[in-house]
Amino acid sequence: MISFELSPQQKQIKELVHWFAKNEIRPIAMEADKNEKVPDEWLDKVNKMGIHLNASSFTGGGKKKEESNRSKKKERESNRMAVIATEEMAWGCPAIALSLPGAGLGGPPVQSSGTPEQKERFLSIFKKDKPRWGAYALTEPEAGSDASGIRTTATKVDGGYILNGQKIFITNGGRASWTVVFATIDRNLGRAGHRAFVVEKGTPGFTCTRVAKKMGLRANETAELLFEDCFVPDENLLGGEELYSSKDNKPSGFKVAMATFDSTRPIVAAMAIGIARAAYEYTLDIVKKEYPKHGRLYHEATELLAEMEQDIIAARLLTWEAAWKADVGEANAKEAAICKAVAGKSALDICSKGIELLGPVGLDGHLVEKLYRDVKVFDIFEGTNQVQHLVTARRLYAKHDLYV
Amino acid sequence: MISFRPTEEEQAFKEMAKNFAVETIRPVARECEENRQVNEEIVKQIEELGFGTLELPESWGGLELPLITQVQILQSLSYGDLGVVQGLPGAGDAASLIRLIPDHPALQGYKEAGQSSGAWPDVAFIDATNPDDPWLADLQVKQDGNGYIVDGTSQPVRLAKNAQYVAIAATDSEGEPVVLWLDKTGWTVLEGDFRLGLLAAGLGRIQFSEVNAGANQIIARGSEAEALITNVLNRIYVLQAAKEVGIMEAALDYTVEYTSNRKAFGQEIAKFQGVSFTVADMAFETRAANHLVYLAATTVESQSKDAAGNALRAIYRAHRAARFVTDNAVQMLGGHGFVQEFPVEKWMRDAQAQVALYGRERDFLIRRGEQIMNPAKKEVAR
Repeated sequence: MISFELSPQQKQIKELVHWFAKNEIRPIAMEADKNEKVPDEWLDKVNKMGIHLNASSFTGGGKKKEESNRSKKKERESNRMAVIATEEMAWGCPAIALSLPGAGLGGPPVQSSGTPEQKERFLSIFKKDKPRWGAYALTEPEAGSDASGIRTTATKVDGGYILNGQKIFITNGGRASWTVVFATIDRNLGRAGHRAFVVEKGTPGFTCTRVAKKMGLRANETAELLFEDCFVPDENLLGGEELYSSKDNKPSGFKVAMATFDSTRPIVAAMAIGIARAAYEYTLDIVKKEYPKHGRLYHEATELLAEMEQDIIAARLLTWEAAWKADVGEANAKEAAICKAVAGKSALDICSKGIELLGPVGLDGHLVEKLYRDVKVFDIFEGTNQVQHLVTARRLYAKHDLYV
Repeated sequence: MISFRPTEEEQAFKEMAKNFAVETIRPVARECEENRQVNEEIVKQIEELGFGTLELPESWGGLELPLITQVQILQSLSYGDLGVVQGLPGAGDAASLIRLIPDHPALQGYKEAGQSSGAWPDVAFIDATNPDDPWLADLQVKQDGNGYIVDGTSQPVRLAKNAQYVAIAATDSEGEPVVLWLDKTGWTVLEGDFRLGLLAAGLGRIQFSEVNAGANQIIARGSEAEALITNVLNRIYVLQAAKEVGIMEAALDYTVEYTSNRKAFGQEIAKFQGVSFTVADMAFETRAANHLVYLAATTVESQSKDAAGNALRAIYRAHRAARFVTDNAVQMLGGHGFVQEFPVEKWMRDAQAQVALYGRERDFLIRRGEQIMNPAKKEVAR
């Protein structure tokens, strides 16, 4: 039955995360942006509370078994839960949300492609003793949207691989305990030559060379990583050799990278929606207090606010659909691309309308200008708006056997 | 629990409606437009399938389906042709009024007429509730003792041409909301000069000359009318928006198919991103409108507190998206989009006419904005 009601569990999670976002995240959002850093003691505190950013619907380690037993009895709802929770978290502050401890974007590829041993080894490290992070490194200076063009090399040697190359724009890349790194064993093989490795912090030859200065998301670390003759043992090849051995049925490293997007794009869309909603609610409060109750400005405000609200709801429903499809086990690449494209673009527009409604005053110490700076990248990372158009178009034309 | 999966019954209805739309409605769409009415065979088959009485209550012999089911069926039927769907005879938009107050004495004459003849006579539904409408003075509903006098000419409405009954939702001369139900005495239909679209939908204006509406023709007045009008309009918005989603889906699918075959500069034009990205945008808008309509359907049905807001959002977005998607369908077909050998030019015309007929987009937006700014104030009858 078509329904947009949250389940009791979803409602509970939404309320809980919202409480946390409102009381723990939002109060430090402006300060963290200014200092370009989330305070260490805060991260330690929330880590002890067990709050993590789950970029995937999966939880690591021992919890998994328990969940799969339960899911036999009732419908799986983890993807829906994840987008609902993420929207609330990002509503607090996206930069802080992205800095929360946990496997982050590195979680989904380990969960979906890792061997049981690797899942246990890498996903069980996120414990309360101290905050830890995972990261996901695909982008390179010469390979952004065209991820198939990566140049980081992986040369097979006895007992492992030697990595050489550079990765950029890596969220939490400097502080991560491990990073899923995509490299090629032979550029001539194209996508079939791609391999995914889990590279641990402190591995000789692996360094974080720079932290990027950005328009927004300033409190979140965006790192450049360098691999110089970096030896990675065989057991860190994600999924093991057998994952890549069969030509037809098994995914290539490229497919590992791409499959990740089907679950992370709705999450990124949900974050964009959370940001947009924060801007909308913040603006609405001020407009209600400060605006005249009739006349030209009042009508302009009603129109802008109604557009903002509507775009938030439309993007949210598209995101829920992508998450729902994942939960029921249906292919969701098209829906994931659509929600990411729509949410990414309209979220910026909503923040911009917030600034328009506040006028020059909005420039001076107001949350909306920060959100505007933060949200732009949501139309870029995890696939630009143009890439989402391409993915959507490819799915639409696939039924006519045309590759566009 | 959030779910986008139709029930098995809805799925069956949808498939039946879609097959009928593609195999039976679409092939005769041009013919119906030229004849300015839906041909009898279609009407007969729609009745046989039960799709003519989706909104009518069971006590009237209708299907009394929930809005969420109706929107899926109407969307599928409109996939064939919106002009035909809008020209299907019967209670039209007044069905939503009947749905909400089936036992009202003023409606029983219509009920008997429909049940005795086996065919529901056409009802024109006039929405004259907007007190700021520039043409409000053209149709006056004046209090006269216990009754009303209706005088003047309505704006163009659907199903006017053969209407046997008129339902009027209006703000009367004293500023009070009222709903009237008139049988065919004292009014005539001005057929007008309609060329844009929905030409099989019986568009026309209704001209009243000092028509007396006695107590037995008053459905509701005052606060009761206010609430009724709001609920009726919410249902109409949702149902009309669903039809618009149907025409968008038709335009999108047709464009995908056309551009995957059409070649220029040595390749299928879909391989140019100017084309494929536009098509993706069409898909984005279609899905967004679809979801807003579904959300509105579920909340309007339960008359939840956000029903009015959701209905306004659904109709606004459907209007905007219908114009966008059908315009781009014509654009992607180029010159072929403009000529009548291809259906998209008709869909664009029909969509624009539909948008004009069912409320001003910007007005919907501002009304929703006013609800946001002032949630305590009840938004009724504009």
